[in-house]
Amino acid sequence: MTTSVAVVDLCVHRGSFQLGPLTFAVPSGGRLAVVGPSGSGKTTLLRCLAGFEPAASGTIRLGDAIADDGRRRLPPDRRGLGLVFQDGALWPQMTALQHLQFAAPGLAADDALALLRRAGLEARANDRPGTMSGGEAQRLGLCRALAPGPGLLLLDEPLRSVDVHQRDGLVLLLRTLADERRLTTILVTHDRDEALALATDLVVLREGRMVESGPAQDLLQRPATAFTAAFLLGAACLPVSATDGDRLSTPFGTFARPPGAPGDLRLVLLPGDVDLAPPGSGPAGRILCALPGEDPVRLRVALADQIVEAHARAAPPAGAEVTLALRAAPRFLPWHEPTRP
Amino acid sequence: MTRLPLLAALLFLATFVLLPLGGLVVATVRGPDGWTLAAWAALADDRNALVQLAASLQLGLAATTVSLLLGGLHAWVTVGRDLPGGGWLGPLGVAPLVVPPIFVAMGFADIAPAAGFWPCALLLGVAHAPFVAVLAARGLRGVDGRAYEAAWLLRGGRRAELWLLRAIAPELLAGCLLAFLFTLADHGVPEFLTVKGKTWHTYAEGLFARWNRRAVGTTFAELQSPIVAALPFVAGLGVLLWAALRLRAQGPDRGVVQPLPRRPLGRWRWPALLAPTTYLAAGIALPVVVLARWALGSAQRLEPMSLSFARQSFHKAIDQGLPDLLHSLWLALGTALLVVLLALPLARAAARRQPLLDLLCALPAALPAILLGIALVRAFHDSPLLRSFGGDFYAGWGFAVCGYAARFLPFAALTLSAQVRRQPVAAEEAGLLVARPPWARAVRLHLPPLLPAAWTAAVVVFVLALRELDLAVVLPAANATAVRRLANAVHFQHEDWSGVIALLLLAIAVLVPLLPSLLAGRRLRSLS
Repeated sequence: MTTSVAVVDLCVHRGSFQLGPLTFAVPSGGRLAVVGPSGSGKTTLLRCLAGFEPAASGTIRLGDAIADDGRRRLPPDRRGLGLVFQDGALWPQMTALQHLQFAAPGLAADDALALLRRAGLEARANDRPGTMSGGEAQRLGLCRALAPGPGLLLLDEPLRSVDVHQRDGLVLLLRTLADERRLTTILVTHDRDEALALATDLVVLREGRMVESGPAQDLLQRPATAFTAAFLLGAACLPVSATDGDRLSTPFGTFARPPGAPGDLRLVLLPGDVDLAPPGSGPAGRILCALPGEDPVRLRVALADQIVEAHARAAPPAGAEVTLALRAAPRFLPWHEPTRP
Repeated sequence: MTRLPLLAALLFLATFVLLPLGGLVVATVRGPDGWTLAAWAALADDRNALVQLAASLQLGLAATTVSLLLGGLHAWVTVGRDLPGGGWLGPLGVAPLVVPPIFVAMGFADIAPAAGFWPCALLLGVAHAPFVAVLAARGLRGVDGRAYEAAWLLRGGRRAELWLLRAIAPELLAGCLLAFLFTLADHGVPEFLTVKGKTWHTYAEGLFARWNRRAVGTTFAELQSPIVAALPFVAGLGVLLWAALRLRAQGPDRGVVQPLPRRPLGRWRWPALLAPTTYLAAGIALPVVVLARWALGSAQRLEPMSLSFARQSFHKAIDQGLPDLLHSLWLALGTALLVVLLALPLARAAARRQPLLDLLCALPAALPAILLGIALVRAFHDSPLLRSFGGDFYAGWGFAVCGYAARFLPFAALTLSAQVRRQPVAAEEAGLLVARPPWARAVRLHLPPLLPAAWTAAVVVFVLALRELDLAVVLPAANATAVRRLANAVHFQHEDWSGVIALLLLAIAVLVPLLPSLLAGRRLRSLS
């Protein structure tokens, strides 16, 4: 049975770090990714959902049960969830089969073997984690989490210790097993591709606060903050300064301030928003390298303390000084507080 | 359910460490006429106690210097060096720990006059050098080889060696502090040398001497004076121990690192062999050779050494000393088992929830065994609690095991808590998600990764309990151990069968820990 998740005004205190207040919901069978840079509170949130960290205030509801309301806390083993840890967190003294049998009392050996077979670990059933590769260890961690038949699967950066060649296989396995069981899934990661591959909805965190949330496609097409654009789309965000009246000064010239925009704005340059231009017609940058591909040639260019992706017909040599120009109207977004209507 | 072992261990600590110590402290301020500070006020006038304290400090510093030279050099030239035979000389660094300090003293006293301050410092320095050797080696094995190579690239070989010395300084200092503590606390060796003509005394000796003659005192202050003199010193030792623990915690053992590169000794390659050979010769070979010569009849002036004399010695030893030897064996086995059972819950609690428990568990290590023994005797010699166990528990094996366990608990608790800290918390959290009872998690998840450290702790405690002399002198229940018998027998010219008993004791100390490894056919790992 799958479990819905509802988090309302959740605050978690961990030393001097404060997470929240956070409010979000994941419907039964939904797939949510919590993304953000290191130190944004992703893992703290996941640990609180799992029951390892107490909520200071707010409510976590798993299905119909209140898991934590700041006063009463359901112990981790009674929350009916599975957790795949960052580095496996496997039990070194147990074989793969023993992992599953310990994790799910009453699980028949045949069923455990069948699960291991699905994960491509049947041949490793009697091996201990110490002899496994990073990818195999994470597959075993996934099997262990799924063995008791949880309604909610939490994933803590599951691909972090897996090498590039094994990532795709693990992503497919995670998707397949979660889809088959119609599992509610919450993933935390700082990797955009991992988030987009495994989730349909996103929550963006920064320094313990929620920057924005919503369906992944909406956030990708219309990020409400420069922080989200930078994190999810690899945008360069140049600081701007206000000049007289409603004008904003940027390296590309001065522009009118968008109506209703807050104070801390950034000029957001998505890949391809900038072209090479004749000398003297715009700010100067230095070519770092050309990316693979021919028409147009994609160039990584250093501009101030940012790196922008510019398009050109031919690739100047690395180190060459070039002039940049905006291809379309400039896009100004607040740094990390979405514009309130 | 899972709190029960922890509660039992805490109860043990309270009963056999805190209660006796608390009793000692209270007795110093509770005179026949009520509360008084007379005994403390008299401390400043007790010139004898102050002189003995000063002598102990000097002895501690001198012996620790010897330990540093022997143990530190042994580790320095055997770990990560191209010393000939370094591969097997290195792990032998822990071996001298098996030899009781009193045996080292017997060995040295047999070949040279061992009276006076410096011979005593040398003997105790040799006896406690394994603490420095083992911890320095541990520090060197914990240094990240890449960091050393970075220092080498940037500053050259000589500066890199200085960098390495700084990197292992916490471990080295911790080893020195342990050697210092053990030297200060030692009563047996300075007392043994008394019969060889020593003219000065340490505070541990003074403590025991005045405790032995406690009925002679006439005033409350006189009766309490040795304990009053000892308590501030113990507090000082506690601070030192705390410093040693903090230093060890800062040691470089932070998980998997690349080992140090093999560093060439150059033209010092062969001369450097002198360091480990001197260390091992002084710590093991000399005592063993002297004991073997005693068994062969070297102490008999009328007839030459012979195998037939050795056979006679062996028969005498079996006749005179077998019960003591067996008593020592059972006492050491019981102590090792009890200590590990107590240390497991204490170590988990200290590593995961209550770091201050580490300090509490370590407290007995700051006490001279003599003082702990006196505290135990005063607390329990007429205790209705012990009488309720039935029989004469106070004079039996059970009480001796409890006393020894109180003394050696720090070694197991600290070893195990360090091991718990090395276990990833995430693996334990993964266990919390599993719907199993707490005891199942404890047995299946928490215990197995600790078993190697538990075995190491058991071996160390077993060996230390076998060689313990000071506590055996004070506790009536431990009087009949082989080491105690040996210390007495040598005074009465019974070197022949004493040598045999001592060799048998060493054999037990080596073989019993080796037995499981030999039976399982597994390669031994260094105890460090």
